[in-house]
Amino acid sequence: MIVENTQTQMRKGILEYCILSIIAKGETYASDIIAELKKAQLLVVEGTLYPLLTRLKNNGLLTYNWVESTSGPPRKYYVLSDEGRNVLDQLDKTWEELAFAVQTAIGERKK
Amino acid sequence: MNKTIIININGIVFHIEEDAYEILKNYMTDVKRHFSNSADSLEITTDIENRIAEMFTEILTRDNKQVIIEQDVNAVIAQMGTVADFETADEEEKTDQNPFGAPGAASRRLFRDPDDRLVAGVCAGIANYFDFNPVWVRLAFVIFTAFAGTGLLVYIILWVVIPKAVSRADRMAMRGEKQNLQGFKKNFEEEMNAMRQNLNNFGHEARPFVYKARDFTGDFFHHFGIFLAGAGRVFVKIVGVFILLACLGFSIAAIVLLITFIGFSGDHPTNFFPMSIIADHNANNVYICAFIVALVPLLSIIMVTLKGIFNVGNIGKSTGTVFLVLWICALGMLIYYSVRISENFRESASFTETVNLKATKNNTYYLKLNNIKYFSHEDSLRLDIKDHFKNMVVIDDDYNGFHNEPNSFEIHIEKGDVTYPVLEETYSARGYDYDDALLNARNTSYVFAQQDSVLKFDYSLRKTPHTPWRNEYVELTLKVPMNAKVVVDRKLDNYVRDINLYDCNQEDKRQDNEPAVFTMTDSGLQCKIDTIVTAKKDSVKVKADSAKKAE
Repeated sequence: MIVENTQTQMRKGILEYCILSIIAKGETYASDIIAELKKAQLLVVEGTLYPLLTRLKNNGLLTYNWVESTSGPPRKYYVLSDEGRNVLDQLDKTWEELAFAVQTAIGERKK
Repeated sequence: MNKTIIININGIVFHIEEDAYEILKNYMTDVKRHFSNSADSLEITTDIENRIAEMFTEILTRDNKQVIIEQDVNAVIAQMGTVADFETADEEEKTDQNPFGAPGAASRRLFRDPDDRLVAGVCAGIANYFDFNPVWVRLAFVIFTAFAGTGLLVYIILWVVIPKAVSRADRMAMRGEKQNLQGFKKNFEEEMNAMRQNLNNFGHEARPFVYKARDFTGDFFHHFGIFLAGAGRVFVKIVGVFILLACLGFSIAAIVLLITFIGFSGDHPTNFFPMSIIADHNANNVYICAFIVALVPLLSIIMVTLKGIFNVGNIGKSTGTVFLVLWICALGMLIYYSVRISENFRESASFTETVNLKATKNNTYYLKLNNIKYFSHEDSLRLDIKDHFKNMVVIDDDYNGFHNEPNSFEIHIEKGDVTYPVLEETYSARGYDYDDALLNARNTSYVFAQQDSVLKFDYSLRKTPHTPWRNEYVELTLKVPMNAKVVVDRKLDNYVRDINLYDCNQEDKRQDNEPAVFTMTDSGLQCKIDTIVTAKKDSVKVKADSAKKAE
């Protein structure tokens, strides 16, 4: 139980960071994000992504543009807002610190 | 060969097989419900719908086909993730907020249970939520309904607020695993919040309320229909049985009456109302017509009830026509006879006969009702009265002062101008014209006998046998000399006019069943009161004396 709890918390914590990172590369479509996340084995179903994107957008970290599509309805292409970029920068720093901390902590044990 | 349905997802049109459509529809319902508590539900579900549309388009292009089938929908759902997958994600979020909560426990949600419902499934839903027998919840609602309808009101509010469990996921969520206390509390608070939000939304947004009200009304009439079809059907059947029994009873009564009437009228005329006025030769026709007029509607009601409520028997078009024609004919004949019979009452005629009576020495006359059987000339010959009943009196069995035939005479007592009493008999009757009326009046006779001071009045007017009743009547006016004493038997109470025997007996302090005693004065008959008057005078004198002594 505690293991699961920690796992989900860790996963959740980095999920938003990863999404922001993927979008930071440029205008991104939801299914592209999914593809990347699937590759990273962070998320398996698409449905869970939409609430996350909506929340990030409502928090002002993301904006989107409508782009006409040949294969269906217009698509929402997400881009980082300025605030999103700031947040991502902070998260980058935090992640480096965390990575260092974790590396140090488990490095001792693994050796 | 499969049926396909055309659907429209945010402006893109797809052909989809019926089975696939059902799955997709259920999936979207679940998704919408899952996100319904979120502020961005519309945006999220639209995103998901758009993505689904896009995936469908991709599949159709890739496979170069035109119709979406079940596998396609399942593939899309697998990619998008089921509501259960979303819930796992939600659980993670919630765990985040509430680190002490027990994660992973399947939560129960409050739904109306459509599988185990009596009306709208509110009670069953609540029972599922708290995991006890719905009977107790229903009982509680019934009991609270007794308090000014509180239960009913609460029920209707809950009916509006609580969503109906539509999909399998809903039902699973509704039944859920048994909750630990923590989970239960959390869940309950959530539901309450959701409900509060739902209620608030009613105030803010008109559209959802309109939809909800529409759903609710639809639901209500749907359930009301089921209720009528169920409980109502029993009620209708009971009413049907009552109608059948009543109609059957009336029919039997009509048949018995017909037989009785035809049987009686053949023998001799009677004094009972409908038979007494109908001439013999067409009496049976009248009875049969009346019988048909009564019976046809009864039979029709029986047949329609049987067919309509119990679905037994068949009413052919020809049967209906025959019934209608028969009924109209019978009604026509009945009206014809009624007019014919009523014509016999058109004119009135009367004549007066005066009989001089013997004066008595003490000027006292006893008025009594005759209890001697009167025989017509034919009857007395037939029964051979003269030989068989020599020196005997035949008593009238019907003699009791009250008779079931119409009152056919009345007595007035007036002051006479001569020294002997006089009886004026005024006979009247009705008829087709004046001649007929006069003849009818003439065909009657009234038996009156004087035996010294006793004047005997027969209880009824006699008329020629086998003639119908034509409102024959005799008005008797007895004129007695001045100061004559008239003693009226109580049995004449129904026949004497202008005086009240009961009051007189009360005044004279006699028993009610004793004859009343009157005296003829200048102003008509007076109750005899002389003894009481003298007694009063004495008492006044005594009082006056004692008053004097006291002075």
